[in-house]
Amino acid sequence: MASNSTSQPPSSDEEEEEEQGANSTVQKPNSNSIDNSLDAIENQLSSISFTSPIDETIAVVSAEYYHESVSEINDSSLNGSYEAAGEIRIDNNNSVGESSHASGSRVWMNNNVEVEVEAEVDGGLSSPSSSGYAGERGSSGGSVSSGSGTDVIREVRDNGESVGDDGVNMVDSVQAEWISGKRHADEDDASISWRKRKKHFFILSHSGKPIYSRYGDEHKLAGFSATLQAIISFVENGGDCVKLVRAGKHQVVFLVKGPIYLVCISCTEEPYESLRGQLELLYGQMILILTRSVDRCFEKNPKFDMTPLLGGTDAVFSSLIHLFSQNPATFLHAYTCLPLAYATRQAAGAILQDVADTGVVFAILMCKDKVVSLVGLQKSSLHPDDMLLLANFVMSSESFRTSESFSPICLPRYNPMAFLYAYVHYLDADTYLILLTASSQAFFHLKECRIRVETVLSKSNVLNEVQRSMSEGGLHIDRLPVDPSARSGSLFHQNQRSQPESVVGIGGPAGLLHFIYRSIYLDQYVSSEFASPVSSPSQQKRLYRAYQRLYASMHDKGIGPHKTQFRRDENYVLLCWVTQDFELYAAFDPLADKGAAIRICNRVCQWVKDVENEIFLLGASPFSW
Amino acid sequence: MGCSSSLPDRSAGRVGGLNPVNGDSDAKNLRVKLVLLGDSGVGKTCIVLRFVRGQFDPTSKVTVGASFLSQTIALQDSTTVKFEIWDTAGQERYAALAPLYYRGAAVAVIAYDITNPDSFHKAQHWVKELQKHGSPDIVLALVGNKADLQEKREVSVQDGIDYAEKNGMFFIETSAKTADNINQLFEEIAKRLPRPSPS
Repeated sequence: MASNSTSQPPSSDEEEEEEQGANSTVQKPNSNSIDNSLDAIENQLSSISFTSPIDETIAVVSAEYYHESVSEINDSSLNGSYEAAGEIRIDNNNSVGESSHASGSRVWMNNNVEVEVEAEVDGGLSSPSSSGYAGERGSSGGSVSSGSGTDVIREVRDNGESVGDDGVNMVDSVQAEWISGKRHADEDDASISWRKRKKHFFILSHSGKPIYSRYGDEHKLAGFSATLQAIISFVENGGDCVKLVRAGKHQVVFLVKGPIYLVCISCTEEPYESLRGQLELLYGQMILILTRSVDRCFEKNPKFDMTPLLGGTDAVFSSLIHLFSQNPATFLHAYTCLPLAYATRQAAGAILQDVADTGVVFAILMCKDKVVSLVGLQKSSLHPDDMLLLANFVMSSESFRTSESFSPICLPRYNPMAFLYAYVHYLDADTYLILLTASSQAFFHLKECRIRVETVLSKSNVLNEVQRSMSEGGLHIDRLPVDPSARSGSLFHQNQRSQPESVVGIGGPAGLLHFIYRSIYLDQYVSSEFASPVSSPSQQKRLYRAYQRLYASMHDKGIGPHKTQFRRDENYVLLCWVTQDFELYAAFDPLADKGAAIRICNRVCQWVKDVENEIFLLGASPFSW
Repeated sequence: MGCSSSLPDRSAGRVGGLNPVNGDSDAKNLRVKLVLLGDSGVGKTCIVLRFVRGQFDPTSKVTVGASFLSQTIALQDSTTVKFEIWDTAGQERYAALAPLYYRGAAVAVIAYDITNPDSFHKAQHWVKELQKHGSPDIVLALVGNKADLQEKREVSVQDGIDYAEKNGMFFIETSAKTADNINQLFEEIAKRLPRPSPS
């Protein structure tokens, strides 16, 4: 049981041994820790007996399928159910070696558990909850190949895009819906639609009580939650810690934070590090709402039910999960500024500084997810992740738009144990001011501060400039300067103002599609505006996923860090360049020439340096104090 | 919670920092702090927005922390009353913060949903808390909201009247959706306010 963690690529013998070892532990779950989930375990066991004979039957199918899926590199990842279980054999031989070698971290691998989880997630082979799935189960043997066949056809036709995280019927137009809170609350783990979702997130307590689920009603998922808890706790009983279970196309990523467990089940092919980072942010979002003092509730009562404490916050979490595929800040750990003329940002910074000097801990002026300016009390530092979580909290809570508000919030990286008090006020439809203070009594003071800030901003025309920048955007790749001598050094000069018609620009030189430049000292990044052909949300999501993989591979502690990477697949040429000062991620047309791409990257870096006054918040960085 | 800092406007509030500066309040122009309490989802924000802006938005927007709004009404005796309203969040996690908002309040409006008996019980809990910890001369109003949903009613009018009478409260049923009794609620409150003696 203790040999569950593998630090070396195991030989096939070892793998078999492991398989058996784990098999026996499944059958002997430690009784004191998982008493309430024995039912779930029993169902697990039945699933094992179901899977083993089928394994052989579908081996052929899966081999074909595997080739199919390799050629489809992006997240058109097979949310179908049957093929994956059969694929385990292939996948395991690769992945055990790969992941334990590559990440150097402890990855706990176990064939039987994989099969179980697979069965649960997809519901193709058995049901973790005793009822509700009998009909499906009956068809398992014969229809296996045809089932996966149709799935492949559909996936390929969809090109893996419209399927999205939401699996079956995700359409781009659903995009606006997430804000209204939880989707598909009527589902539970017996629903076929629930099982086909591509990316699940769960928060549960160490006693197995559900706290949050991305899809479905938490209360109905109690049994499923207990199963997750059982998996975590029996590995813990062996003095080990489960981080990742790979089950065919699915990855099950675990994060343990004291009495709180977080789990992501995903078939999006995102790297383990990225999914784990997303769980960290999800935890941070919860801390922002409740502080870590919530741990004490579990000390008093291990069976404490946390769901009422998070009442009404579904929209905050679902919005954050949405950002995981829409906002590079979630994996870059940097924030981005709204492009503004230097003097405009200075004017905003000056009035914020004025206000901060009267006892405000942080004064932040933002437009959607972009920073206009921010100022902090000396020695206080605001982590980019905290800013992301704070901005997400404000933007996803509709009530802030209605009137000025005063609310306790916690910045997890600043002080996870204590609340600050946030005064939030929208100055126009997109622009909002957040003033943070340690005093619960300071509302009227902050209200006065806001009135001063608002007066100055409208007098100095800052709000209009902010609106203009929002509609015009910053770095358009088709305006990448060709001739260094002709550089204007500003984004806000003469001719560029007179091009309002190009809402979605054309691609840049040498097939440049998009780039992200991250300044390491400033903790800020800037990305180019999206241009054709990366114009639809699903294409943007695909590109962000590609950047995310690139980021993870560049920062891989096992085989990295790297300085440059050039990668070509059927969607993009990706070029990454990391120096002490910056990281550049650039995407080109898949046919782009390597030499030309490198030259363009140099020009991009020069361009960014030329206009850094306008795209970054300089000097006033609260991080360098 | 764990944080402490110097209060920048220590001189401003007499009782607590969340109370307005009472400078311009006189016998003819009253300025009162009103706090709205009640279970989540009973329609506190809808009541306030109907009163302050004349709007009704059926999509539920969960209040975070507390929102601050103000509205002035003129009474027939030519006095004006400016309500400074703290619309608090009904969620359990904010319950511990309620004293921050009701401390020093001249009026507390406690709302429940006539289709939801649990919210009526919750309202009684708030009444008890205010009787214990609120200002001694606080004006208490009990409001049964969603009166337009007669067919789903689960708390009878009589129950509301009885409880309010027993506790010396003013009682009214309102509908933020149809605007029924919303203005009446605030006018009645204004009439019941203790007038400062002319100095």
